[in-house]
Amino acid sequence: MLSTIKKYQIHFLLLVVIIILGVLTYLQAGWDLVQAGFLQGIKILWRELPLLAAAFLTAGFLQSLVKEEFITRWLGADAGIKGILLACLGGGLIPGGPYAYYPIAGALLKSGAGLGVLIAFVSAKNLWSVSRLPLEFAILGTTITIRRYLITFLIPPLMGIFAERIFGKRIKNIRENIDL
Amino acid sequence: MNSATIILWCIAGVLFLYSWKEGTGTVKRGGLLAWETTKQNALLLVLAFIIVGFVNILSPDELVKTWIGPNSGWRGILLAESIGMMLPGGPYVVFPLIAILFEAGAGLAPVITVITSWSTQSLLTISFELPFMGWRFTVIRWSIGLFIPLFSGVAALLLWG
Repeated sequence: MLSTIKKYQIHFLLLVVIIILGVLTYLQAGWDLVQAGFLQGIKILWRELPLLAAAFLTAGFLQSLVKEEFITRWLGADAGIKGILLACLGGGLIPGGPYAYYPIAGALLKSGAGLGVLIAFVSAKNLWSVSRLPLEFAILGTTITIRRYLITFLIPPLMGIFAERIFGKRIKNIRENIDL
Repeated sequence: MNSATIILWCIAGVLFLYSWKEGTGTVKRGGLLAWETTKQNALLLVLAFIIVGFVNILSPDELVKTWIGPNSGWRGILLAESIGMMLPGGPYVVFPLIAILFEAGAGLAPVITVITSWSTQSLLTISFELPFMGWRFTVIRWSIGLFIPLFSGVAALLLWG
């Protein structure tokens, strides 16, 4: 029983969020909009299926291709600053939303990447994101975009270094966390 | 099909070719791993996307427009961080929203805070982070990240007023 709950804890959590959002929607606009929200979600999922498929395949091939000793050497806890910079570069260049890069980050975590490296990868994806850049320039303009990049440019590597220093030793616990 | 999808398919294609060069065992293992990940996360993805749908419908645009005014200073930055966390959707949805905000007279510092907060702290993203990275990673990354939008906003405030 306890192990079932543990296995499905994230399902439960997401379900609770859905219920809360459903009730909020119902109170604000009635049953029709609850249905619309539900359908909207499925519609977006359907639209993103090709991207999801590509992301899962990338994650799968990456895991089977890349030898563990390579990951440990280049992206493991002992890879140091070199690993963190490499992760930033990868994160900054990889396209797609969270449903695309988290499966890939998860594959790296399973294969032995260190915490600092993973934090740097996700943060660089979020803050450097080269694929988002043209859109940001086009819609928000040059001033905002350049200033935001300047301010946040150093954050991904710094966050990686900081996380590795403070929490790096917990990577085993973190890895166990996904091997449910 | 958008460009992200095309680029990611190209990456998958290159990795497939590499695996093929290594032998059919590697290709099979890669495909199997992809299938396992898909199977493990299919239900979670459906749940996560239903959340995306609801947030889309509830659409907090109005909140955004009401809460960050011009010259809001520190309070504006704090509010901007919370708003950034709640903004739904990808850059196609969020950037136009932020552009409207800026045109309406929101300061540069809150705008930079909103962009940064949406990038690193988005609550919606957590529904995808939890299944693949586990709650320990998510808690560590998200809590360290809380300071980033504040730092960006304050830096923008000090540098450019």
